[in-house]
Amino acid sequence: MSAPERIVVLGFGPVAARLVEDLLPAVRAGRVLVTVVGAEVHAAYNRVLVADVGTGRTAPEAVALSDAEDLAAEGVEVRLGTAARRVDRARRTVLLSDGGVLPYDRIVFATGARAVVPVLRGLDFAPHGEPRLPEGVVALRDLDDAAALLPVVRSGGRVVVLGGGILGVEAALAIREQGARAALVHHGDIPLARALDHDGGRLLSAALAAAGVDVVPQARAVAVRLEEGRFTGLELGDGTVVPGDLLVLSVGVRARAELAEGCGLTVDRGIVVDRFLRADTEDRVFAVGDCAAVAGRPPSGLIGPGWTQAAWLAKYLVEHPAPGFLDGPGPAAPAVDPLAEERPGIILLKARGVDVAAGGDVSPGPWDSAPWGGSPQRVAVWADPQQGRYCKMVTVDGVLTGFVAVGMPRTAAELVLLYERGAELPADRSTLFRLDDAALSLPPAPAGPDDVLCRCSGATHGQVGHAVGEGCTTVEQVGASCRAGTGCGGCRDRIEALLASAASTV
Amino acid sequence: MPQAGSTPANTPTHCPYCALQCAMSVSPGGPADGTAGSADRGADVQPRQFPANGGALCRKGWSSAQLLGAADRIVEPLLRGPDGVLRPAAWDEVLDLVAAKVRTLRAAYGPDAVAVFGAGGLTNEKAYQLGKFARLALGTRLIDYNGRFCMSSAAAAGNRSFGLDRGLPFPLADLGGAGAILLLGSNVAETMPPFVRHLQGARDAGGLMVVDPRRSATARLSDDGAGLHLQPTPGTDLPLLLSLAHIVLAEGLADEDYLASRTVGRDAVARSVAPWWPERAQATTGVPADLLRTAARRLAEAARAARAGGAPVYVLTGRGVEQHVNGTDTTTAAINLALLLGLPGTRAGGFGTLTGQGNGQGGREHGQKSDQLPGYRKITDPAHRAHVAAAWGVDESLIPGPGVPAAELLHSLGLPGGPRMLFVHGSNVAVSAPDAGRVMEGLRRLDFLVVADFFLSETAAEADVVLPVLQWAEEEGTMTNLEGRILRRRRAVTPPSGARSELWIMAELARRLDSPGRFPTDAREVFEELREASRGGLADYSGIDYAALDAGEAVYWPCPADASPAGGTRAGGAARDSAEEDSAEKDSAEKDGLAGSAPAPGPTLRGTPRLFMDRFAHPDGKARMVAVRFGAPAEQLNLPGTLTLLTGRLLEHYQSGAQTRRVPELNAAQPELRAELHPATAVAHGVADGDMVLLSNGRGRVVARATLDSGMRTDCVFLPFHFPGDASANLLTSPATDPVSSMPGFKNASVSLSALPAGLPADALPADLPPGAVRRRGAEAAARPLAEAAR
Repeated sequence: MSAPERIVVLGFGPVAARLVEDLLPAVRAGRVLVTVVGAEVHAAYNRVLVADVGTGRTAPEAVALSDAEDLAAEGVEVRLGTAARRVDRARRTVLLSDGGVLPYDRIVFATGARAVVPVLRGLDFAPHGEPRLPEGVVALRDLDDAAALLPVVRSGGRVVVLGGGILGVEAALAIREQGARAALVHHGDIPLARALDHDGGRLLSAALAAAGVDVVPQARAVAVRLEEGRFTGLELGDGTVVPGDLLVLSVGVRARAELAEGCGLTVDRGIVVDRFLRADTEDRVFAVGDCAAVAGRPPSGLIGPGWTQAAWLAKYLVEHPAPGFLDGPGPAAPAVDPLAEERPGIILLKARGVDVAAGGDVSPGPWDSAPWGGSPQRVAVWADPQQGRYCKMVTVDGVLTGFVAVGMPRTAAELVLLYERGAELPADRSTLFRLDDAALSLPPAPAGPDDVLCRCSGATHGQVGHAVGEGCTTVEQVGASCRAGTGCGGCRDRIEALLASAASTV
Repeated sequence: MPQAGSTPANTPTHCPYCALQCAMSVSPGGPADGTAGSADRGADVQPRQFPANGGALCRKGWSSAQLLGAADRIVEPLLRGPDGVLRPAAWDEVLDLVAAKVRTLRAAYGPDAVAVFGAGGLTNEKAYQLGKFARLALGTRLIDYNGRFCMSSAAAAGNRSFGLDRGLPFPLADLGGAGAILLLGSNVAETMPPFVRHLQGARDAGGLMVVDPRRSATARLSDDGAGLHLQPTPGTDLPLLLSLAHIVLAEGLADEDYLASRTVGRDAVARSVAPWWPERAQATTGVPADLLRTAARRLAEAARAARAGGAPVYVLTGRGVEQHVNGTDTTTAAINLALLLGLPGTRAGGFGTLTGQGNGQGGREHGQKSDQLPGYRKITDPAHRAHVAAAWGVDESLIPGPGVPAAELLHSLGLPGGPRMLFVHGSNVAVSAPDAGRVMEGLRRLDFLVVADFFLSETAAEADVVLPVLQWAEEEGTMTNLEGRILRRRRAVTPPSGARSELWIMAELARRLDSPGRFPTDAREVFEELREASRGGLADYSGIDYAALDAGEAVYWPCPADASPAGGTRAGGAARDSAEEDSAEKDSAEKDGLAGSAPAPGPTLRGTPRLFMDRFAHPDGKARMVAVRFGAPAEQLNLPGTLTLLTGRLLEHYQSGAQTRRVPELNAAQPELRAELHPATAVAHGVADGDMVLLSNGRGRVVARATLDSGMRTDCVFLPFHFPGDASANLLTSPATDPVSSMPGFKNASVSLSALPAGLPADALPADLPPGAVRRRGAEAAARPLAEAAR
C-alpha cells in the first residue's frame, strides 16, 4: 500500500502538541498524514502557565507551544475551533462539529480533562459537558479563564480560591504576589493534603499566611453568592461568607472521555489503555495525557507523564504502521518496549519565595518504623519552623520512597532527582539537609609554609614569606622573586596582606 | 635544515600551551639553577605584557622551557625493527620507507588506505600544509584532527546561528569591563588562569554566573557576592539554558526590537522554550527554580543596562557544555539566550566560546577538518574547490572529497574499508580520544603508523616510525588565539640537530611521492600561500603578513587584502569595525593593564576586532534563532549504583599530559590520577580520602586515588584526562557523537566505582570485570629501547 497512513489526533493541548511535533519527521517523509482537531481557537499552549497569564506575570503569546501555520506548512492538517462530535469505529471516521467527516486509519484521543464543577447552590451541575459558569466564577483551565482573572488582579481586587490542591495554592500565591488579595478556602487542616504530611502542611499554611493569603481551613463550601448574576462571595457550611470579586474553582479535574465512551471504549476515570496506550484490540485507537487511564490507573493530572506518553506513542506509531500499512518497517519491526511504569508524580509548587516539593508516600513518621522492627520504611526529619524549614525523607533500603521539603530549595532539588532516579541516599541524611546551609563553605584552616598560596604558579606561603622577608615590598617584587601572583591574580590580596603585616611589624 | 645561528635574547613569542597564548619572552640558556634542563638546549621564559594575559603566566607557561632540553626528548628518527624495538635511524632511511609504504598501500588498497590526524596545537602554516599534504601528496580524503574533540560543537553552532565561527567575535579585553558574564562549562581558573583577570569586572559587579556540576575553582570565583553558581546534574545544561530563555521570554525581558531587526526564528524558539518553566527545569537539572529565575533576571537586567550604554554582558561556553552528543544544540541554546538579550554584534556584549588548544582557532580554519579547505571553505563547494585548487596550482579534480570526522576515523583504523596507515601530528590519540582503549586497538591493527612528536608519547610508542620535530621555541609561524587575533610564534633557541620541522618533513615526503603542489619549508612562504588560499573565504587572512605582525599590529580575521588599519571593508559577509571602535578597543586594552609593568602602547588594529557589528554572516545579514530540543542522552545515566563521569583539566597539566608530565615541578604537584568525589559518595562506596578506587564500565577500567571534595555533586566523579595507561580517563568515555558536529560525548559516561584493596597492583585487577584496556605492554616494550636510544 503506498498511500500514507492517516492519523487523527483529537484535542490540541500540550500533550497533543508534543505528539504532533514528534510525528513531524514521518509527516515530512510522506509516511503519515496527521490531522489535529482542537476545540479551542488557539493552537496548543502551555496550560501549566495559565495562572501566570491570569495574574499578569506573563503574556498569552509567551505560553504558545505550537503554531498552526508552521504546522500546516509542514503538512499537518490543523482544525482549530472544531470539536469532534462522534467517533465511528466501524467506518473509522470522526464527525466534526462543523459537519465535516474525517476518515482515519488510527486515532489518538488527547482530549484532556475539564475542571470539576463542585455541587454548590448557584452553579449549574453539568458533569459531562463544558460547564456554564456565572460571571465572576472561573476554573482557570484555559486562556479565556485567564482573561477573566486578569482585570481583577490588575485592579487589586479580591479573589477567592476554592480548593487546597497544588493549582489552588499556586493561584492564591500568584494573585497575592501580583498585588491583589487572595483567600484560599480548603477542606481539612492543611493545604496540599494529598501530597504533604501534617507538619509540612502546617508549615505551608504558615508560609501562605506570611505571604498575605487569607487561609480558610476546615471549610465546606455550600453556595456561591451572586448579585445581578455576578459572584460576590462564597458561602460556607457554617454560614460565613468569604467575600470576593472572583471565584477560582480548583477542586480537581475529570477526564474528557464521553466521546470515547460514546464509541464503546472502556472508561474508568479515564479512557482505559494498556501499556502500549491502546484503547482497542486492533491497534487503531489510542489515548494519551489527562484523558488516559494507563493500565487502569487514573490520570495524574501532571504534564510530565503526558509528554512522556506522547513521545513514546509517536515512536510507536511510526515504527508500527497500522494494520494494512506494511510498507514501513512492517512485521519485522523491532518490538517496542511498552511505556515504562510512571513513578507516582512529584509535586513542585510553582511559586516565588515559597519552596515546596513532595513526592511518594510521606505518611510515616520517624518513630513509626523504628530500627527495632516492623515496616521497612525508615524516616529522617529536619524541622526548624522558626526558619520556615522542614524536610522529611522516607526510604526503603536507602532508596527514597517519599519526601517533603518546605523552605529548603537546594535540598528539594536534589531530593526530586534522587526520587526520580530511585537512587540510594547518602547514609548520613544530614548531607542533604545541609545543602541549603549558607555557612557551608567554612573558612580555610590556617595555612602552613608548605601550603600553596598561589595556585597558578604553585608558590607556597613559605616561599612568599621568604620573599617578603628578603625585602620585597610590592606584589610585583614578590612575583619576580617567587612567581606568586603572576597568574590569575586571585591571590594578590593575600600577598598584599602579608606585605602589610610585614611592614607594620618593622 | 636546522641552521646553527644566533638566537637573540628575549625573543618575543607566545606560550606553547592553551588558546590564551600568553605573551612571553624566551632567551637561550637556562637560568642559573639549571631547572631549564641542559644548558645548551635550555631557555629562560619571562612573561610579556599583552592584552590577553596582562603580563601574567600560569605555572605551565613559567616552566614551559624545561621541555626544550628534556632528557627523554626524541632527537633522532626512530624506526621499529623486526624485533619490535624502536631504534634510531637516519632521516633518509625512514623517509624513504614511509614513502614506499604509502605507495605500496595506496596501490593495493586505494588512496584512502592512508589517513592523517592533525592537531589544534599546530601553527597555521603546519595545519594548512598538513591539509594540503593529505589531499595532494597522499591523495587521501581521510584527514581530521583533535580539534574535533574540542571546538566542533561550538563551531557548528556558531556557523549555524551567525554564519561564521570565531571563538570570541570580540577582543578578549572587552570582557574586563563586563557587568555580567554567564560562563557555562568552563573552568578557566584551572585551564587558563590569566584569563581570570578578565572576569574581575563582572565579579566586582556581582555578575559572574558560573554553570558547572562541580564547585570548581572557577565556580568559587562567584562566592562572596561576586555572582552565582548553578550546579546542574551532568547532561542537563540544555534544559537549564532553555529555562533561562523561558524566563526571559515569559517575563517580557527580551530585547524585541533587536530580535525583530537582527534575527529570524524568534517565535519558533519561544515555542520551544515554553515547556521549560523553572520548576520543570529544576526537576530535570537539580537547580532550584528560584536560582534559575535569579540568574535570568540578573542577566536580563544587566543586558538592559548594557543596551543603555552600561557595562556589557557576555554568554560564554566551554567544553563542559559542548562535549556532549547534544553539544551543538546546547551551544545553540546559549546563543539563543544571548540573542534574546540583544547582545551579539553590539557593544552591549555578545556570545563567545573559549577555545582550548593553542591554535584551536587557526587549526580549524585552514583545512585539517575532513570537510573543509583553507579559509574555512567547504570541500564540497565547487567554487571553493576551484579557488583553493588555483591557490595550490593544481587541477581541481586532484582534491579529494570529504572524509570522516575524528572519532569515526580513529575507530575505523585497520578495519575492513578503514585506513591501514596513519600519520599523527601533534596529537596523543591513545590518551585523548574517546573510548581510548578502542583507539589503541585500532593503532595496533594498522599496517604502518607514523607519528611526528618530540616525546615518545603513548601514541608515538605504538608507531613504526617516529619523526622528531621542533618545539614551539624552535620554530617560526603564526597562531590564531581564542579571540581570532593572529600572533607570531618565533624561533628563540636552536633546535637539536636531529630534529626537523614538520614543513621540512612534508616537503621531503611530497618530493618522494611526486606530489603536485608546492611544499616550501619556510613558514613565511607557506603563510604567503595560505593568504591566497584563504582570500575571500570566511576566515580571510589575505590582508595579513609577517611584517605587520612583527611590527606589533593587532590583527583579527577576517582581514581581507584591501583592509587598511583605518578602512572599513567587508569580508565573508561580516562587517568590520569602524575606526572609532578601533580606538575604543585600544582604550579597553590599555585599561586592562593589570599586573606588572605598564601596558604596551596600543597597537595598530587591523582586520575585524569585532564581528557582526552591522550584520551577521548569513546572506540576509540576520542571525538564525534555531529551536532546539532536549532529548534522551546517548548513555543512560544515573542508574542505581552508577555515577556520572566528568572529565576535565588540572592547572598543572595540559591535554594528554605528554608534555607537562615531563616537567618535574608540574608532575610533582600532580603526579597521579586523582578521582574527585563527594564525601557522601565516598562513604557510600566504603572509600576514604587517599584510597585507591577502581572506576569501570563496559569500555574500560581506570585506577585512581580518591580525593574528597564537598563541592562535588553526590552523583558524579571527576577525573582529569592527563594520564596514560590504566589512569586514562578516556578508557571510560563514550564514542557516541553529536549528529551535527561529530563531537564525542566525553562528558556523559556512566561508571561504577569500587574501592581497591590497599596494595593491590593495578594488573592484579579482578578478572570478572568488563574487558577494559589495561594494556601497557606496547608502551613498555617501546619505552625501554628508547632509553637506549637516548643514551
